[in-house]
Amino acid sequence: MTVAENLFENLRLELRRGCLTLAVLAQLRQEHYGYTLRKALAQQGLEIDESTLYPLLRRLETQGLLASEWREEDKRNKRFYRLSSDGEQIFAQLLQEWDEINASIRKILDNPVQ
Amino acid sequence: MDHLDRFLESVRKYLPWQGQDDIIAELRANLESQREDKEAELGRPLSAEETEAWLKQIGSPMQMAAHYQPQRYLIGPAFFPIYWFVLRLAMMWAAAVYTIVSVVQIAVGPSNWPAFLDAMLRLPGVLITTAGWVTVIFAGIEFATVRYPSLCRPITGPSGDWAAKTLPDFEKAMTPKKKRRTFAHAIAEVVFGTLFLAWWLLVPQHPYLLWGPGAAFLKSSPFQLTPVWTDFYWCVVVLNVVQLAWRIVDLVRRTWQGERRAEQFAVKIFGLIPLILLLSSNVWITLKDPAASQAQYGPTVQAINQITRMSLVIVSAIITLQLLWEIGQLSLAYYRKRAAAKS
Repeated sequence: MTVAENLFENLRLELRRGCLTLAVLAQLRQEHYGYTLRKALAQQGLEIDESTLYPLLRRLETQGLLASEWREEDKRNKRFYRLSSDGEQIFAQLLQEWDEINASIRKILDNPVQ
Repeated sequence: MDHLDRFLESVRKYLPWQGQDDIIAELRANLESQREDKEAELGRPLSAEETEAWLKQIGSPMQMAAHYQPQRYLIGPAFFPIYWFVLRLAMMWAAAVYTIVSVVQIAVGPSNWPAFLDAMLRLPGVLITTAGWVTVIFAGIEFATVRYPSLCRPITGPSGDWAAKTLPDFEKAMTPKKKRRTFAHAIAEVVFGTLFLAWWLLVPQHPYLLWGPGAAFLKSSPFQLTPVWTDFYWCVVVLNVVQLAWRIVDLVRRTWQGERRAEQFAVKIFGLIPLILLLSSNVWITLKDPAASQAQYGPTVQAINQITRMSLVIVSAIITLQLLWEIGQLSLAYYRKRAAAKS
């Protein structure tokens, strides 16, 4: 990997990290367990590795943004996640921040460079 | 045990102890669902090779487990400023306390120069140990705060409570404080340097220039200076000649307004040589006629030598610390200059 490619990869990961959290929170307005969440996100065009998504879920739960419970489904115990009440509030704030950043970047790009 | 079991057991090995079973159970449920989906698509069970390829695609067990680690650094960005502040403070105090203790130990001990050198060589070890302890304590606080956020009150550190008006005036700070040397100042330095050298060179022939009325007392007293003072004397002569020559060259080349940090630094380094010379000796005052006056003046000579030793050790320690401080400051200034040039 060249220096430029490496730099791009680092920046891409940095950019993706925050976006993934937002996407996971958005998707977990509806209850999911790990694998179905991953599938649902992939169907929307957002592929996430297992090694990224599953630990992320636990981290978000530790931070109080998600609530989880073990439940049997299709003869198998699965851990289902959904947004907690704190998570709903923070998600709304993050979404607003995201919209503002997005709008600002769009505005910057739409203006001719001086 | 199939490939998935092996994979999960390998992941378990690298997981934090707490919650291992829970993580593995959840991972198993997710991966088994995924495998079922794949098998449903194919209409048959995955072969051993296909399972292996699929697991390989997920990543190594170590990589998978690494993502479950709660923390990737010892001291995070929220704590780092206060850690850095405390670290510098602790290092400064450790150096000061260590120096004071060493000076006292050397002063009351039997040897001088080797003990002084030994103490100085031990200083980096003391500083590293101090830094280690500070780091361990802060890493512990960081760990507790991250792991048990509900139990630990957030620490904001020195940056938590601030007001713009209390911040330093950056423009003022960037303006050099020192006034530039004038021509008159440079001339005065050469004149007074020459006068000092002339006075110093006359001292051996005319001791009263140094001792005043005490010269007559010294001549008639039963005490005498040891030869180490002669070496010290000539060392001072050489140092002053070099310093004077440097100032004259500055004057001739019209560079007296320039930065003099290098000269001051060199003077301090070479200034240690006469002190090292003195410290290499154990006796600075002896009796002119030991056979005749040992019983009467022996204890006095011993006391004078002890006081001299203590004074020399203290002065050497102060100068060495000053020198180390300046080396640190110079290195920092050089590093900042380079970093600024690069950016």
